[in-house]
Amino acid sequence: MSRKYELVYVVSPDATDEQVTDLHNQVDAIVQRMGGALEKTENWGRRRLAYEIGRHKEGTYVLEVINGTGELMKEIDRRLKVTDLVIRHLAVRVDEEQQVVDRSRGRRTETSRRRRVARGLPPDRQPGEGQRGESEDEHEDRFEGLPEVER
Amino acid sequence: MNGRRSFGGGGGRGRPAAGGATKEGGQRRPMFRRRKVCKFCADKIDDINYKDVKLLMPFVPERAKILPRRISGTCAMHQRKLRTALMRARQLALIAYTSD
Repeated sequence: MSRKYELVYVVSPDATDEQVTDLHNQVDAIVQRMGGALEKTENWGRRRLAYEIGRHKEGTYVLEVINGTGELMKEIDRRLKVTDLVIRHLAVRVDEEQQVVDRSRGRRTETSRRRRVARGLPPDRQPGEGQRGESEDEHEDRFEGLPEVER
Repeated sequence: MNGRRSFGGGGGRGRPAAGGATKEGGQRRPMFRRRKVCKFCADKIDDINYKDVKLLMPFVPERAKILPRRISGTCAMHQRKLRTALMRARQLALIAYTSD
């Protein structure tokens, strides 16, 4: 049974670009060998770490989206643990979460479409059609950063 | 006025609204308190993702603690999702555990 995972790993800032690519190829090789598929790779480049890990203050972040089994992820986890170049990694299963998100999003658009049709409007919002009834006051209720709280 | 209801005798919990409460406490606090709305419900954000640091940052004040619901007004479901997202982001050093 195939599942979808997201793997993010932080490579030490001392590593060269070549080493980062090499690491990616290693992950890819494991995925191929264990019968998985690499869906997407993203290199976020060098970022400042929020806190020091070891003596590092920066790191190169790489994201991989992997389709595969739990066994595969176990192997990747083990390999990344023993790789000194990788200072932090995290693998998260995402397929179930994604399903829930898609479902709720789908449900929402469906209800809005139904309501619009009931009101005699075309199901999708037309260009240039603003959201009516949304006053400025409503926007003020939303949380954008810390408000000046009365204590 | 609808907005004032939340302060005075709203919901009937806590101190009785009569007498002392309005005399002593009334002058310190402003009578009007803003109604809080869950940001994720209002903006229809379904997916609270640990990679989206920009989205998470407002919920991490200076000391890098997770902002409580009572202040941010986030609903229970979204606060729970926010928490997992923040904790994942912390593991990857996208967000600090503490600062200072």
